[in-house]
Amino acid sequence: MKCKVCKAEAVVALPSHNTAFCPDCYDRFFMKQVSEGIRKRKLLEADDKVLVALSGGKDSLGLMYALAELGYNVTGLHIDLGIFDSSKKARSVVEDFCADKGYPLKVVALEQEGTPMPLIKKHINRPICSVCGKFKRHYFNKVALEDGYTALATGHNLDDEVARLFANTLRWDQAYLSDQGPLLPAENGFAKKVKPLFRVSEFETANFSFLKGIPYHHLPCPYSTGASFTGHKMIWRNQEIRSPGSKRAFYGGFLERGQPAFAAIHNKKKEYEVVPCTKCGCPTSVGICGVCRIREQLDEALAAEPK
Amino acid sequence: MVKVILQPEEEIVTFTKINTAMQLLNKYNLHYTDALVIRDGELLTQDRKINKDDEIILRKVVSVG
Repeated sequence: MKCKVCKAEAVVALPSHNTAFCPDCYDRFFMKQVSEGIRKRKLLEADDKVLVALSGGKDSLGLMYALAELGYNVTGLHIDLGIFDSSKKARSVVEDFCADKGYPLKVVALEQEGTPMPLIKKHINRPICSVCGKFKRHYFNKVALEDGYTALATGHNLDDEVARLFANTLRWDQAYLSDQGPLLPAENGFAKKVKPLFRVSEFETANFSFLKGIPYHHLPCPYSTGASFTGHKMIWRNQEIRSPGSKRAFYGGFLERGQPAFAAIHNKKKEYEVVPCTKCGCPTSVGICGVCRIREQLDEALAAEPK
Repeated sequence: MVKVILQPEEEIVTFTKINTAMQLLNKYNLHYTDALVIRDGELLTQDRKINKDDEIILRKVVSVG
């Protein structure tokens, strides 16, 4: 198979774009997808101070690399979840990557915060993936605001966004459908959040990271078995094979026509006000934020444990 | 013998004969956008030939957490 641009040997074939690329042309294609996504959706300004959430996977590390190549001022943030060897491996991958590329990095270790995920899983009867997501979002926002970053970037790709949109649509969740998208402006104690990889698929980011020699962490989280998003991704994977381009059309159409309609409905009936958490000051729609409530439950459970 | 390392499981399987990357993907019920096919640090598109003594890494791309 030949590169559709320069006719050299192709290394990546993309049915969704009906094309194939050699390494150099693929690099240009991928970077253009990212830069055009940023430009068209006004995700970032040239002078933004960007905090990039780094899990150690192909998407977040590829994003960090791409944003740095595009000239943005980037700093990585890794949340060490304290999940045994899995978190140790992820953290060392992130630390090595940032050291190798000369990128600044911040690390928040949940073990030091007294809330490693295994301890929460043991004592709190709630789905661990949702708790984990809550903690990660809490610290992403906290660090971004406290350290003066003007944007928080995450490595969510097209597959992630389509799976999320599909889940929100299955529930017809107006609130989520009204503000889902690659840009969440700063407001009410929340930092601006951007998803610059929203136009590229998981396959595309995997190819990019591989071709750039980024040694990413590709082992699944030991707690992620049966996560519903994985099931949604498989449904869309089959749809995409039957009809290449479906994911881009579904998500692109939502951003153009669906999200504005939901936003118009939902903005008319704001059911809650965002206020600072009475314990930690982070934004919440109730008195005490979700993270502080989990901390309280954990403290109670640990106090009740036989000595 | 073609040696195949399936990631992230790190399962190693050997096949007596595989002709193309597509044929290898089919063995695992994978579409060519489900996994990277890697030989000697190089990515292979689905039409590329596989030689009898090749060592191939098949790295699935779907993140599961």
